[in-house]
Amino acid sequence: MSSHRLNSGGLIERDTPLSFTFDGETFAGFAGDTLASALIANGVRLVGRSFKYHRPRGVMTAGSEEPNALVELRSGARREPNTRSTTAELYDGLVAASQNRWPSLRYDIGAVNDKLSRFLVAGFYYKTFMWPAKFWEMLYEPLIRQAAGLGRAAGMEDPDHYEKAYAHCDVLVIGGGPTGLMAALAAGRAGARVILCDEDFRLGGRLLGERHEIDAKPCVEWVAGVEAELAAMPDVRIMRRTAVTSVFDHGQYAAVERVNDHVAVPPEHEPRQRAWKIVAKRAVLAAGALERPIAFGNNDRPGVMLAGAARTYINRYAAMPGQRLAVFTNNDDGWRTAEDARVAGIEIAAVVDSRSQPPAQFLALGVKAMTGAQVSHVHGGLGVEAIDVIDAGGRTTKIACDALAVAGGWNPAVHLTCHLNGKPVWNEALAAFVPGAMPDGMRVAGAAGGSFKLADCLSEGVAAGTMTAIECGFRIAAIALPNTEDEATAIAPLWHVKDSHAKAFVDFQNDVTTKDIALADQEGFRSVEHLKRYTTLGMATDQGKVSNVSGLAILAEVSGRTIPQVGTTTYRPPYVPVSFGAMSGHHRGKDFRPTRLPPSHQWATEQGAVFVESGQWLRAQYYPRGAEKDWLETVNREVTATRGGVGVCDVSTLGKIEIEGADAAAFLDRVYCNTFSTLPVGKARYGLMLREDGFVLDDGTTSRLAMERFVMTTTTAQAGRVMQHLEFCHQVLWPALDVQMVSVSEQWAQFSVAGPRARDVLRRLVDEKFDLSDKACPYLAAKEIAVGGVAARLFRLSFSGEMAYELAVPARYGDAAMRAIMAAGDEFGITPYGTEALGVMRIEKGHVAGNEINGQLTARDLGLGRMMAKKKDYIGRVMAQRPALLDAERPALVGFKPVDPKARLRAGAHFLKVATANTIDNDEGHMTSVAFSPMLGCWIGLGVLARGPQRTGEHVRAYDPVRNGDVEVEVCDPVFFDPQGARLHG
Amino acid sequence: MASFTERSALAGLATPGHCGRAGASGLTVAERTDIAFANVTARRGKRFMLVNAVNTAFGVALPDGPRRTTVGSVTFAGTGPDQWLASAEAAEAAGFAAKLRARVGPFAAVSDQSDARLVLQLSGPRVRDVLAKGLAIDLHPKAFKPGDVANTLIAYVGVQIDMLDDATWQLTAPRSMAGTFWSWLSASAAEFGYDVVTIGDA
Repeated sequence: MSSHRLNSGGLIERDTPLSFTFDGETFAGFAGDTLASALIANGVRLVGRSFKYHRPRGVMTAGSEEPNALVELRSGARREPNTRSTTAELYDGLVAASQNRWPSLRYDIGAVNDKLSRFLVAGFYYKTFMWPAKFWEMLYEPLIRQAAGLGRAAGMEDPDHYEKAYAHCDVLVIGGGPTGLMAALAAGRAGARVILCDEDFRLGGRLLGERHEIDAKPCVEWVAGVEAELAAMPDVRIMRRTAVTSVFDHGQYAAVERVNDHVAVPPEHEPRQRAWKIVAKRAVLAAGALERPIAFGNNDRPGVMLAGAARTYINRYAAMPGQRLAVFTNNDDGWRTAEDARVAGIEIAAVVDSRSQPPAQFLALGVKAMTGAQVSHVHGGLGVEAIDVIDAGGRTTKIACDALAVAGGWNPAVHLTCHLNGKPVWNEALAAFVPGAMPDGMRVAGAAGGSFKLADCLSEGVAAGTMTAIECGFRIAAIALPNTEDEATAIAPLWHVKDSHAKAFVDFQNDVTTKDIALADQEGFRSVEHLKRYTTLGMATDQGKVSNVSGLAILAEVSGRTIPQVGTTTYRPPYVPVSFGAMSGHHRGKDFRPTRLPPSHQWATEQGAVFVESGQWLRAQYYPRGAEKDWLETVNREVTATRGGVGVCDVSTLGKIEIEGADAAAFLDRVYCNTFSTLPVGKARYGLMLREDGFVLDDGTTSRLAMERFVMTTTTAQAGRVMQHLEFCHQVLWPALDVQMVSVSEQWAQFSVAGPRARDVLRRLVDEKFDLSDKACPYLAAKEIAVGGVAARLFRLSFSGEMAYELAVPARYGDAAMRAIMAAGDEFGITPYGTEALGVMRIEKGHVAGNEINGQLTARDLGLGRMMAKKKDYIGRVMAQRPALLDAERPALVGFKPVDPKARLRAGAHFLKVATANTIDNDEGHMTSVAFSPMLGCWIGLGVLARGPQRTGEHVRAYDPVRNGDVEVEVCDPVFFDPQGARLHG
Repeated sequence: MASFTERSALAGLATPGHCGRAGASGLTVAERTDIAFANVTARRGKRFMLVNAVNTAFGVALPDGPRRTTVGSVTFAGTGPDQWLASAEAAEAAGFAAKLRARVGPFAAVSDQSDARLVLQLSGPRVRDVLAKGLAIDLHPKAFKPGDVANTLIAYVGVQIDMLDDATWQLTAPRSMAGTFWSWLSASAAEFGYDVVTIGDA
């Protein structure tokens, strides 16, 4: 048996022994232990080092509020820093290590900070590291990070799976203690859908650490009975190990379920953690209360523990915080720790009560009671050895003990009532903040609302559960109130012991002492929010659950104000730390966002294509072959082969929208700057769409399939944006038009077959009855045809400048169509090309794309001003006429060729006159797109240049300071290849 | 002359068989490629005529709101104001969009969507638990009943979920996102064990 394990009692499974290691030493524990309880049972008091002063620290609490006993749990890629040992369930083989110490926990070099502490007072960052400012990044920050900080991240990818999930209910009960159990029972019996969340692995809350009787049986037995009834209700869901962390509008709550934190490795296929979003019509907050410490000299020594926690370790875990326990209290509850410890056989050194007249029942317990007295100092370095007690007469007595339980009173866990801006209110009788205005749909019950007596918790739980169920439309269910005895809960607040000389800690995790608070006040940081930032009070991973109220009470004292005058800082979500894993869930790596695969993806993969992300799409970028040494060689081949024979490219990613209705043509006339109502059936037209502000939104072709039916294509990048724009125009601007639209982007696989032999390839593919001759199917024809009996569409469109067709087939045939095109083109040497070759060919032809349609250029800037119809109105018409947009000096689209044909051009380079300084004032525009043109044998570029179209033949510099580029270029027409467009017609 | 073979949305991504937890089957997944879909949007002011035409042609009373109505092998599911996703199985499936256009053409825009979607039918004791990992909609029997339809998001993928009967759900997602959707579904179902019964025609 471990040195500090009681021989009997507790909720541990003594027939399931477990072995674990802490800092390399092996210990024994039981199932049902936490790491903290197992360490205590083994007599381990020193568990960690503090953040700033590297002071030795031990376990202080028994819950998620723990500030001190943080460890690195597990090892390797699963190493998890700053894990609260008080909530880490023990499992066999658990490995934990202390953190923020070197070379060892007992002998920590960093502890010298404690001796230097007068230089490390509140705000020392701001005072010490002021000058020179440039040293911050190089020197100060790395130094501070090295010295301070807590655990180390694993530094490897987390091997575990996380997920998110949604749940819905009528009544969400937050907290599975006596209040929450009764609330869930009342609502559940009424027939409501109930979710009961508790962060512990066992229901019962405070009852697990108490010796109360309910209905004349031990309270833990009563808990089991209620739990069994709840578990049998089909519409009640009990969620253990689930902390509700955040409250959002409209009854939405965030929670984190630690599904498999209590095992070494999650079982196969199971997640480690699950982030829940719970949507509840109503919620009952039964989160209980958190005990607070009292500040006195060396109140952070290992062995000093909150009194309620000490009781939990004794009653729930059968673990003795010490063999000779002293209690320091300002309230009745502290006495219960002495009582329970004594029952467990622990020697009570003394109960020090700061009140002069505690209730007589406690004085009759037969333990050494010191009333009107305060603990002023703790002796012992790595653990409590004795305490100094100053009695009412001012005399100091030294009392030997190895553990000290501190009862400073209880703070209702009001956090979740504040996430929607609620402010807690001070209750003088309880000496605590209680919830103020509640969030919509939430009510509070039990200790979270300031009702600390068990009987009140039970009755308030019933009332809250009943009321919320009624509000959800259910009828009251019969429920009998359990019987309990009434316990004493009186308190006379004491925040800190003024006679202490050694450091008296308020915020243990961030090493904030009473002196820091006084200093902050003295230096003018009197607003509680300033106090927080200046001292870092409450800013650690525990978010000041233990420390905040004491901190502001002390600020009130030193600044001569009342606690309500000082007020509280803002409570923000989450209530407990949430891992990034849980927040991202399934969505990491390749699942970070959706990937869209075009219909020929499988085929392209088989060809060894290199892919590129294009928005959500994964597109074939180029298809390397044989010994090609780089992408440029491949792309040159693809372009040359297409222009010399025939090529094929998957263009399914273009947005496709069917637009139908009596007013469809009128609608298109309004959304495009050029005219579509004159487009004959069976023909396609290039269209340019402007935004309201006159800038170009998107371009593409729209074909008329029937008088009242069109199919529009958009660019890949803007497909969603255009659909949204059209819907807006129809629904908001012109609801009177008879026009219906629907995306068919997913329905059709579409392939561009381009090059002089394109028609030959298509002829072998398209069903014979369809005439593909130039006469029957000329440039810009749009036909509904059939391919192998499959209904298809054929568009005579060209982005490459070659004679080209876009063949559309239903998507399920996309893969087959690509293979069929390749087979049909085999005899003509058909070459698949990717987005790179597509880009090269459109730049050779001076066609604009996303680089030019960037939201900052107008139709006029792009040389497309002639497309803007004069005889009709359309979106963007008026705003495009703004004087600045008509300024002759505005950069406009032209082409560029390097004067030295071997020079490489770079997109993004800025244009400067040949003999001017490289200043922004001399800037004349920039290069938008570049490509190596195999047709011209040199790099070419498109760009916008001030008065560009009038400067053909002029030389300017393409200056690129980012990549040290400075290339003299000649301004030319943007159409580099086949300027007459002869090739289009084949 | 080419003869084209079909490729299902999940082809190459999933194969029939048992996956995830061994010895448990919380979910059964079947890919359907034999259902024809068409989007139907009422022409302006023609809703009542469309309702009559659909009733005459298919015997279906067009649902008002996010519900589906099936008569024989033809279904209409409400997907938006004056908008429905029609579907047809078996003999009605071939050329469904064209047939629909012929019958309701003057009163509605009809667009073939038969190839636009991955179509999965899900059943099994843990369907709700699997879907809860991505679907923000309440699927409790009191909240989502057979015949209910919703258009929403799962894993950032737009989906339509239809409850076909007490035990079967139909999920459709954009075909191009089938891989992403399957990655989510298979990861979410793994802890319960799942069986893939059909992929395409396999």
